[in-house]
Amino acid sequence: MIVDANSLIDGSLPCDDICVIGAGAVGIALALRLADAGVRVTLIEAGGDGRDEAVQDAYAGAVTDPDLHSPLRDYRERRLGGTSTIWGGRCMPLDPIDFTQRDWIPDSGWPIGPGALAPYYPDANRWCEAGQFDYNADSALPDGAAPMIAGFNGQAFRTDRLERFSCPTDFGRRYRQRLIASRNVRLVLDAAVTAIRLDPDGTRVRALSVRTKYGTQIDLAPRHVVLCAGGLESARLMLANRDVHPNGIGNHHDVLGRYYMSHIAGTIGMLHVTAPVWHGYDVADDGTYCRRRLSLNEEAQVAHRVGNFVARLHHPRIADPRHGAGALSALYLGRALVPRLYRARLTGEGDGGANYLRHIGNVVRQPGAVVRFARDTLSKRWLAERKYPSVVATPVDGAYMLDFHAEQEPNRDSRVMLGEERDALGMPRLLVDWRYTRGDVRTVEVALRLLAEDIRRSGCGSFDYDPDQVEREMTRYGAYPGHHIGTVRMGSDPRHSMVDADCRVHGVANLHVAGAAVFPTSSQANPTLTAVALALRLADRLAAKGAI
Amino acid sequence: MRVLVLGADGFVGRRVVTALAASGWATPVAGSRRPRSEAAGERIVLDATDAAALEAAVAGVDAVVNCIAGDADTIRRNAAALFAVAGARRVVHLSSMAVYGAAEGLIGEDTPLSDAAGAYGDAKVAAERLATANTIILRPGCIYGPGSTQWSLRIAQLLDQRRVGDLGAAGDGCSNAVHVDDVVAAILSGLRTGQGAYNLAMTDAPDWNGYFLAFARALGAVPIRRVPGWQLRFDSKIAAIPLKLAERVTRRLPPPIPPSLARLWAQDLRLDASRAERDLGIAWTPLDRGVAEAAAWCRAQMRR
Repeated sequence: MIVDANSLIDGSLPCDDICVIGAGAVGIALALRLADAGVRVTLIEAGGDGRDEAVQDAYAGAVTDPDLHSPLRDYRERRLGGTSTIWGGRCMPLDPIDFTQRDWIPDSGWPIGPGALAPYYPDANRWCEAGQFDYNADSALPDGAAPMIAGFNGQAFRTDRLERFSCPTDFGRRYRQRLIASRNVRLVLDAAVTAIRLDPDGTRVRALSVRTKYGTQIDLAPRHVVLCAGGLESARLMLANRDVHPNGIGNHHDVLGRYYMSHIAGTIGMLHVTAPVWHGYDVADDGTYCRRRLSLNEEAQVAHRVGNFVARLHHPRIADPRHGAGALSALYLGRALVPRLYRARLTGEGDGGANYLRHIGNVVRQPGAVVRFARDTLSKRWLAERKYPSVVATPVDGAYMLDFHAEQEPNRDSRVMLGEERDALGMPRLLVDWRYTRGDVRTVEVALRLLAEDIRRSGCGSFDYDPDQVEREMTRYGAYPGHHIGTVRMGSDPRHSMVDADCRVHGVANLHVAGAAVFPTSSQANPTLTAVALALRLADRLAAKGAI
Repeated sequence: MRVLVLGADGFVGRRVVTALAASGWATPVAGSRRPRSEAAGERIVLDATDAAALEAAVAGVDAVVNCIAGDADTIRRNAAALFAVAGARRVVHLSSMAVYGAAEGLIGEDTPLSDAAGAYGDAKVAAERLATANTIILRPGCIYGPGSTQWSLRIAQLLDQRRVGDLGAAGDGCSNAVHVDDVVAAILSGLRTGQGAYNLAMTDAPDWNGYFLAFARALGAVPIRRVPGWQLRFDSKIAAIPLKLAERVTRRLPPPIPPSLARLWAQDLRLDASRAERDLGIAWTPLDRGVAEAAAWCRAQMRR
């Protein structure tokens, strides 16, 4: 059932077993899983049904280096469905090596192994509408698994792993009806948690204070709280509550908000391939789009002491008309139709009259390709509920760029803090100081070198890039936007972590945190699928304990 | 035991007759209005809504299996006639999960019957209320398998035409799928044991999206398509009207998706059939095997 917080008068809401804060992908999956297990849940969402700029303003904050991190209002949404209302939908699980303690990556190692998540990944895939949990090209695509690069036989890289795509599913729209229909769920919209009040001895959450956008104040005394507000907001809420624990909830060892990670991503080099290439999407039986990827295998990561790394073939920079592809030029010329947050890479250096003419020339030379592109954009993106994930274009000269996505290692000095300013609800705004390390650069440098060697050795072409430009290219757009990882990290030692293997805040009996905030390391994988899997696991644990 | 099977030439009835003949403990008497000539065994021609005809027919049997299908009026008149003459004989009466109407959640047999279940559901409720004390009532979910025009052949056509597939939230309802063999097994078991009403649906029946996918794989109608909400709404609210009218004239046009069907695909009603497992000893046909059989039959039908 949905409760409009504005319809409630000042006072307290009758209490439920479990209160889930944040109705994004993680909070919704967690709440419905608990409800299906018979546990009563109150799901509190700070936003409403759509984007409201006044509400969204609470996310504004400061970043120490605007070139390295997107503004805090962007790439996260304070509304029902959370950031799943704007995500790209790329799904893949963590690799077994991600859970291990790697002596070359400081502070690596999860207190749980891959086996802990294995039972939950298939369900997480369903929640994300990414089809069957099968990420092996050969089994997931028995007919359509063309090789990425014919003849490629890598020693360090493999191409038999897939990424799969969610619709991309807006969890708010997709599961709204279930939230309404469930007798065990009470969804409160437009209600921002402003205080998490602890018992005087700091071992339990005593109450939550919730404020609506019209100023109504509600107090809740849930028996149990799960914080699912996202990697930045969960940390912010815990940091902002300092009355009992002076450095923020559970933060006795200055860990909260630190180890903030995203991913290291960029587009680099020129890959000249002489062999046949397939870098488009395949469609699995269940209708999901899948795509092969180049992934650095575990042996190579161990042997070269680097982090996890994946890459994809990428068409040349769209803004550069030298690619000669009419479809890409049409996209460049029509970029005003592309959502703002996805437009960044469509505006390159050297915009100017001559460039425009050359783009127009590309369009005129390939009218067929442009018409096909327009038709597909209409039918496979605008009218489709399962959207074609991205633009795929084959460069006329067979020269691809390489798109990479790499693990960022945990770093105590990369952190989110409370700033001086406050939002309309009186909550301190965030200050983000995202940093990368020499180790992060090295992971990319080594991986690119290994890939170049693999391609040369396979005799299917060459990969040329400027090794001196690696750091510049991997930071061209700063931290990969929207991946907010590690701020409330999981670990067994309270001196170096915030939550235990069950996602429970060390020392606070009835407070759990779910989401990518608890990942101790970032992997190569986009975090949503794993965040949902971890939330489902947490739901089962909470339900098994008889609602605590 | 001599068992009169009403609706003996229907989808379920035909299989019940065969199963009884092979049972070793029962002799079927196949009753239908227009008997098909090729059917073997003892047959009588009767109108199952005619009390006098039924009275004569039941006089010579020990039990009755009621597999009468039809419109609401037929259902009501059949029940009124049958239960007026059945006496103390064991009757196994095929009802439907439609008696629960728009109920949602996990539904056991003690759930109150709906008083607004639509014309068909209301008639099924009325029929159940007339049942005699020695009647076993079976409430199957969606009966699929070879011979199922509604839940196999029609779905196969819709899958081929990519009008169903992955329906998103519109396919979140539980399919409550039950294989026709399992319904027949429940009927046979119900002639000899059990009491009262039984839900029939496989354990962990998939939601409709899951059923469509499993069936599409068996049919080779993959990849399935994500059917946008606007398309399904158009199909079930606007296109359904001319298609339904056309269906009366010709079967060559695509099947309609009536609004009631689209509603069912989203309805979160999950039959709890654990009583049937326990009392009637039903072991549900695994979905993979069931859809494989159904798909083979559908392909043969569609080639005709």
